[in-house]
Amino acid sequence: MTGTQRPTVFRSALRVFDLSLGQMLWSRRSVFLGLLVGGPVLLAFAIRAAVALEPRALPRVNGAAVSGGALFGMIIWLLYIRFIVPVLGVFYGTALIADEVDDKTITYLFTRPIPRSAVLLGKYLAYLVCTVLLVLPSVMLVYFFVVPLTGSIGDSFPSLLEDLAMLAVGLAAYGAVFALVGARLKRPLVIGLVYAFGWEPAVLLFPGYLKRLTVGYYLQALVPHAMPNDSAVSILMQAFREVPSLLASLTALAVITAVTLWQAGEAVERREYVLEQ
Amino acid sequence: MNAPAPPSAVVAADHLSKWYGQVIGLNDVTLTVPPGITGLLGPNGAGKSTFMKLITGQLKPSKGEVRVLGEPIWRNPALYFRIGFCPEQDAFYERMTGLEWVTALVGLNGVGETQAATMAHRALETVDLLEAKDKKIGAYSKGMRQRVKLAQALAHDPDLMILDEPLAGMDPIGRRKTIRLIKEWGRAGRSIIVSSHILHEIESMTSNILLINQGRILAEGNVHQIRDLIDEHPHTVYIKADETRALAREFLSYDDVLSLRFEDQAVVVETGKPDVFYARLTALAASGDHGSIHEVTSPDDNLQAVFKYLVKQ
Repeated sequence: MTGTQRPTVFRSALRVFDLSLGQMLWSRRSVFLGLLVGGPVLLAFAIRAAVALEPRALPRVNGAAVSGGALFGMIIWLLYIRFIVPVLGVFYGTALIADEVDDKTITYLFTRPIPRSAVLLGKYLAYLVCTVLLVLPSVMLVYFFVVPLTGSIGDSFPSLLEDLAMLAVGLAAYGAVFALVGARLKRPLVIGLVYAFGWEPAVLLFPGYLKRLTVGYYLQALVPHAMPNDSAVSILMQAFREVPSLLASLTALAVITAVTLWQAGEAVERREYVLEQ
Repeated sequence: MNAPAPPSAVVAADHLSKWYGQVIGLNDVTLTVPPGITGLLGPNGAGKSTFMKLITGQLKPSKGEVRVLGEPIWRNPALYFRIGFCPEQDAFYERMTGLEWVTALVGLNGVGETQAATMAHRALETVDLLEAKDKKIGAYSKGMRQRVKLAQALAHDPDLMILDEPLAGMDPIGRRKTIRLIKEWGRAGRSIIVSSHILHEIESMTSNILLINQGRILAEGNVHQIRDLIDEHPHTVYIKADETRALAREFLSYDDVLSLRFEDQAVVVETGKPDVFYARLTALAASGDHGSIHEVTSPDDNLQAVFKYLVKQ
């Protein structure tokens, strides 16, 4: 028998991370979601090409041409924050353990001298790296296609870095919340989608305290761009919009991430996984 | 309450039951498994896998208690330093090579990367997979996949190995080698619990057998009666090979072969003397006279008849 010194949770999680990252990066889910994050890049390229051929093709809101920076901000708001980041969180977060159970490989991880919560943590870290690798290059490409339409890359570069950091924080928070949904509930994908695209947008529309139970409420405070007036819903959202301070938002997102991950780890420790024969 | 299990028992179950909703997986089982090699024999659905999952801490008992190497196993990960488990399911990280996979799993035991790689290398050598260590597992044959599962179970040199159907789907030579390995591990002082639905396989490794059916242990110990019973019931063997017709011609000359038929690329043989038949089959595979034999399996209806007889008694 070799080695009886039980590795720490974090060290075990890093080993699981090593084991999982490659599997996650080259999974069918990553290919599919890679196509999804390619959508904004294609859109940005199309706008850039259209403007290059016809300068008057620059998108307009209320008759006024939108600057490159503002257009980039709209894409970040409408496509990344409201759609892509929650979608990635739902699809990966709810499947952290479920994928191993479906593939029946969970047995190999759960019969090793490591806490089960370390398996979840390692897979969560792999999720973070995987989604960051999917999203950040996409955002940078959009930036380089769109911002030079009317502005200078150098001037707005600091705001790009803020965007990238904000999206990474969003992925971390949504991933942790949906890891908890995946660890605790049956049909986690459906529940996750209802939460991300039903509950969150609904409660953000109305005044009151319920919105403080969403990730989106704190995440929107980190966005360096103005919220676009693209629809009646947006106008309504802005009317009731109360933005917490940066510090309060970062603290709240850190607490949400830590608490939901801890709860997810507890759920995985106690749950029995019966593999289908 | 039964008398406490002897301190040397590798597994002690006390009124152990497991239900899946309304379905009973294991029903009020009390037993002790002594050190050495123990065979767990039962048809599919008998409760073997449930028992294996309970003694590897994957499932929590619904009722009763199970202790492995003297300690409760559920939520006791430290015990896995001393246990190696080879599961039944054919599930892998297909894109990894055999060496990468075994190294990664041994690494979870808290050893450094270099040491993990050395241990994985040694384990793959033991199961005769060194040449294929850098091939992706997705490209492994069924027999190689079984052997790489064994390698990850033994790489950290455990005191107790729990092997769930380790011979399933192996070719005759692979089977013979694996049986020899298991016996060697037993002689080296390891305790091994090995499950199968084929008496012949279990018998070739150990005479200490646990008979399980419908979630209950029917008998345990040196079960000679089963040996006699098996001869009274024809045993079916499914052989997938390159030249099934040539094999069939050869089998027809054996007096223990009662019938044979063809199915896809396989020949299905009914024999009255499985021991004799398997020995001849292994020799035949080793000689290569009738092409390659890829897979040998045996349906569990062989055992069903024996179990029906036992339950009636």
